[in-house]
Amino acid sequence: MPAAQASTLAELTEMINAVLGDFAVDQVVTRDTTFQDDLGMESIDVVSLAGRLQARYGDTVNFAHFVAKLDLTTVGDLRVGQLVDHIDASLAAGPGDEVGAGSR
Amino acid sequence: MTVLRANGITLHTQRLDPVDPSRDGPARPTAVLIHGMASDTMASWYFTLAEPLARAGFPTLLYDLRGHGRSERPATGYALDDFVDDLEALLAGSGVTGPILLFGNSFGGTIAFGYAARRPERVAGVVAVESSPPTPEWMRRVAERLHRVAARLPQEGALAGIGARRGPIAARRAADTGRFLADTSITEELPASRLPSTEALAALRCPVLCLYGARSPMVDLADAVRDLLPQTRVAVLPDQRHSVLVDAPEAVRRHVFAWLTEQCGLGTTTTAAPTTGQPDDRPPHPTTVP
Repeated sequence: MPAAQASTLAELTEMINAVLGDFAVDQVVTRDTTFQDDLGMESIDVVSLAGRLQARYGDTVNFAHFVAKLDLTTVGDLRVGQLVDHIDASLAAGPGDEVGAGSR
Repeated sequence: MTVLRANGITLHTQRLDPVDPSRDGPARPTAVLIHGMASDTMASWYFTLAEPLARAGFPTLLYDLRGHGRSERPATGYALDDFVDDLEALLAGSGVTGPILLFGNSFGGTIAFGYAARRPERVAGVVAVESSPPTPEWMRRVAERLHRVAARLPQEGALAGIGARRGPIAARRAADTGRFLADTSITEELPASRLPSTEALAALRCPVLCLYGARSPMVDLADAVRDLLPQTRVAVLPDQRHSVLVDAPEAVRRHVFAWLTEQCGLGTTTTAAPTTGQPDDRPPHPTTVP
């Protein structure tokens, strides 16, 4: 895994654990980890994660737009790796570019 | 997580800035999205309408109601006026001073009408999904449902049954709903709420959109809403239930954006609705209270 991806994954793992708090599951978070089945995240946990992403990356990483493409019934199938890729692509593109458009 | 101190408690909020703030023309009203009672959170709006509204140029504000989601859960303070007070304080604390469009799901719609009755001059329009203005008949039904769920959840096997049918996450949420109903005064306070006068509600002149699921018990509220507010546009979505917002978000978006264009003069040229329609074969949410 490239270094940028690894560090994004590490940061994201920290945010996920902060969101889950007492419910944090005792497992290694990988790119293949799913938010719903593996991590047991509820939809409101994902929203809470969005707030942390915004605090960390600002508007460069448009999480709302990214998940708008998923909708409530499929957001649970989201894998950590998909979000890592979205973050890295958004950061590489810089503010203003809508990397989220079309990614699914 | 974004939190804000309002009306003496901590509320979890999310704000989405308009995607294209450089568009010509006057500033758009702020869309404020209010979720339903007991087992709902802002997630129902976040994953359905929030981003399309921001994309269409509306500054969009979401929050978890007191006692819900990631907001604080005080032991008391669950009358309609408390929820309207929270909304007023949230708007002030968020620096929202201009006109607003209120969106409410289930009891969230009732809070929207409650706010509109108090501050009619600020409200540019109300969208109520599976909801009603705060009338005595509606509040009687809300009380009935609250008490039914409050009585059922603590029963032996109730949570296990939900877990077996709908999975561990649903069971965890139902357990939290049970704690909310048991640990707070909501089942007593909400039904005893002081209601706005019929005159104050009937005096509303802003456009109103009411959406119902054809298979929901709420659909028969539509006539009373139209009697009270004749400007109301009512849309009944075939085959949908009380959870229509999360089950059929694309249909909801279609009705909302048509209404914004035709009744509010707030048309949009952007493609506001992502094409993500999913067939719905899920059971209704058994712990959802209005």
